[in-house]
Amino acid sequence: MIPELGNFALIIAFAFSLLLSVFPLIGLRTNNLKLMQMAPNLTIGLFGFTLFAFGCLVYAFLTDDFTVINVAQNSNSLLPAHYKFAASFGSHEGSFLLWLVMQSGWAFAVVLKSKSLPPEMRTRVLMVLGWICVGFYAYIITASNPFERTLPYFPVDGRDLNPLLQDIGMIIHPPLLYMGYVGLSISFAFAIAALLSGDLDSTWAKWSRPWTAAAWAFLTLGITIGSWWAYSELGWGGWWFWDPVENASFMPWLVATALLHSLAVSEKRNAFKSWTVFLAIAAFSLSLLGTFLVRSGVIVSVHAFATDPARGVFILILLALVIGGSLLLYTLRSGAIKSVGRFSPFSRESMLWGNNVLLVTATIIVLLGTLLPLVHKEIGLGAISIGAPFFDQMFTYLIVPFALLLGIAPLVRWKQDKLNKFVTAPLVIGVISIFISAVWLWLEFEEIKGLALLAASLSVWIVIFTAKEYRQTGQKMGFDRIPLTHYAMAFGHIGLAFVIAGAGLTSQYEQERDVKMWPGDQAELMGYTYKFNGIKDIKGPNYEGWAADISIYRGNFLEAELLAEKRHYPVQRNTMTEAAIDAGFSRDLYVSLGELLPDNAWAMRIYVKPYVRWLWLGGILISIGGFITLFDRRYRGKKAKPAKNSNRQEPSTKRPEAASNQTEAGVTN
Amino acid sequence: MNKRILLASVPLVAFLVLCVFLLKGLFSDPSKRESALLNRQMPDFKLVDLYDENIVYTRESLLGEPVLLNVWGTWCTTCKYELPFLTKLREEYGVKIVGVYYEQAHAPKFGQFVKVEDIRPDVTDMLARWGNPYQFNILDLDRTLSLDLGVTGAPESFLIDANGVVKMHHMGDINERVWRNQLAPVWNEIAE
Repeated sequence: MIPELGNFALIIAFAFSLLLSVFPLIGLRTNNLKLMQMAPNLTIGLFGFTLFAFGCLVYAFLTDDFTVINVAQNSNSLLPAHYKFAASFGSHEGSFLLWLVMQSGWAFAVVLKSKSLPPEMRTRVLMVLGWICVGFYAYIITASNPFERTLPYFPVDGRDLNPLLQDIGMIIHPPLLYMGYVGLSISFAFAIAALLSGDLDSTWAKWSRPWTAAAWAFLTLGITIGSWWAYSELGWGGWWFWDPVENASFMPWLVATALLHSLAVSEKRNAFKSWTVFLAIAAFSLSLLGTFLVRSGVIVSVHAFATDPARGVFILILLALVIGGSLLLYTLRSGAIKSVGRFSPFSRESMLWGNNVLLVTATIIVLLGTLLPLVHKEIGLGAISIGAPFFDQMFTYLIVPFALLLGIAPLVRWKQDKLNKFVTAPLVIGVISIFISAVWLWLEFEEIKGLALLAASLSVWIVIFTAKEYRQTGQKMGFDRIPLTHYAMAFGHIGLAFVIAGAGLTSQYEQERDVKMWPGDQAELMGYTYKFNGIKDIKGPNYEGWAADISIYRGNFLEAELLAEKRHYPVQRNTMTEAAIDAGFSRDLYVSLGELLPDNAWAMRIYVKPYVRWLWLGGILISIGGFITLFDRRYRGKKAKPAKNSNRQEPSTKRPEAASNQTEAGVTN
Repeated sequence: MNKRILLASVPLVAFLVLCVFLLKGLFSDPSKRESALLNRQMPDFKLVDLYDENIVYTRESLLGEPVLLNVWGTWCTTCKYELPFLTKLREEYGVKIVGVYYEQAHAPKFGQFVKVEDIRPDVTDMLARWGNPYQFNILDLDRTLSLDLGVTGAPESFLIDANGVVKMHHMGDINERVWRNQLAPVWNEIAE
């Protein structure tokens, strides 16, 4: 009964999306304000019914309704409740429903937050979202219905899930990524709406910036948590594998980052307009393409999801319509877009142009690396695979100019600046960065590795320049008047500095050792002394076992006391190793207890992973930067629209260059 | 044509070319998607018997006659309910069924280990109660074979012909209806 209600709600939602894609269009054509004003209400209905349908699916999972195919195939009665909940969006059908909940949810958020937009613009944006929804809802209802029944023959219990998929990471990681993917549809809708209206002044850039920042922040957080989860749960010690599924989430992120920066130029300087529209289309297109690659099984990956070919064709048609249609519209309309803002070869604009070129190059590299194996196979050259070494090398090349530019750019003025102002400071800061890094690495590791020095210097460079820029801005504007968006930029940039340093140092300096120890023994690794004090008996509620008591010293200083456990669960008949990790700001110390050897010694594996936490710390800082943008006065709550429109001409005309240079700086990045 | 429009159409053209490849990718080798193994040789393996570590099975052990390879475990409830029908298949249709046993609780990557001696009594008990369709059971404790076969859970079954070519990969339980509609046609073909 409940699943039928869910199915019914989905169909009603589909009807709403149809109405949403038609009525406002007629309204716009006939200039009928009543019809146009239906758009927000239709969107609310769309969201309400989709949410209800999702609730029904969750209910079916929680109550073990194995008469529903989706439940029978992805859950079983013994699964703990929170995994049942996760399973409801773990399957292909369920994940698509989650996607729709978010898609309609974002549209609902637009309704709530767009009251100040001109009614025509608001209607157009919602209408474009309606078009996207029609395709998705048609797909889920006809080809991928999560409520399909197994009746009359239903199984007594569901299929047991691959235990590797049963993890808390599965509960939080996919929804965050989806929030990001789907959120990019809002910038997409704004861009398409602007193209449709032909009204491509920089207003649309201003409107779509907070949405882009929000989606981008979710995407960043999703990717970061995915990486952390792989590190801590999969136990491979790795944090990024260049797997096609990871690449699928990385490509939209790269383009969205480029978009965030080029939106600033469009908004502030009326330049890059056509390019920004293209990036907005590309970011959402890559989200869709990534989802297609992951879900259609076209590309072989460790995440591989088995699917039915008919669905692949359906999604491909959907892709072709959404991406192809928007690119066609872009081709036809972009000729009319005039970027009026002029700028000299050395200006903030040209710096951001460099940022965009590098990010897009990175995207193309990832795209080619991901798709080339497919193309290679299809043109009959046989199967090849492109792995981590290729990507690692390419990204090492790209990150150097990127980080160098990133340091200087916020200090460069809009429109035009003097190159000779930027000779002394970068040289001095460059030398200081290398010096600080060399001292840092030498003191810490007593060995300087080239790539690590490069990574460390780049991050120090970014941090020094960010601080310098902050001081200058503060002195000019007054520290209490620095806008929040400026802090957002600082968070984003410093976050990236942490990621670069973390990646460089971990990959260059991490060490692991397999050791055999008797109680009282010591083992050395990277200046840390792991002292094995002895084995303790432990007893838990449903297990008993042993724990190796390990003290880790650095010199005479006690760094950590760890208990690496081996638990035996008599009822489940299994033994579990609870590795002990001492997480630290500058290193992770890791001990995993192995087997008791015949001669009463214990096998153990010890690791030191320097600065590995910086990767996720950086990722979190970056996404905080994205979220901060949302609280900026300029984007929050009621914005008086007419005032805004007159405001927007200001930077280029009235305001003195120096002042505008500083206010813009924060918003830019 | 306007140079700008030409430039602006580059992404569109690139995307259309990509679509062609994606479409080809979907269709060129339909089997490849469903299971990377379909119509391919069984992957090679070297694993011991569930009851006797001295008996070693390899790919060759499955050659000579068609076989239904059934991936299962005592921890899997659905596998249990599948046993009577599989037993009937063996008894009434003479289907040769070989089990690939894997233990959910054994996950070295997560630091969980299981002893084979602990598994055996449970297996014997379950097979005695629900029927024993298996000619023998291959112990895939580290899931190497399951991984090579692209197994995502249990139960899953493979139909393999006398030459060791995988003809079908079925996910989920086998019951009368599933057998009649999906597996029997393939089985009859390879059993001829």
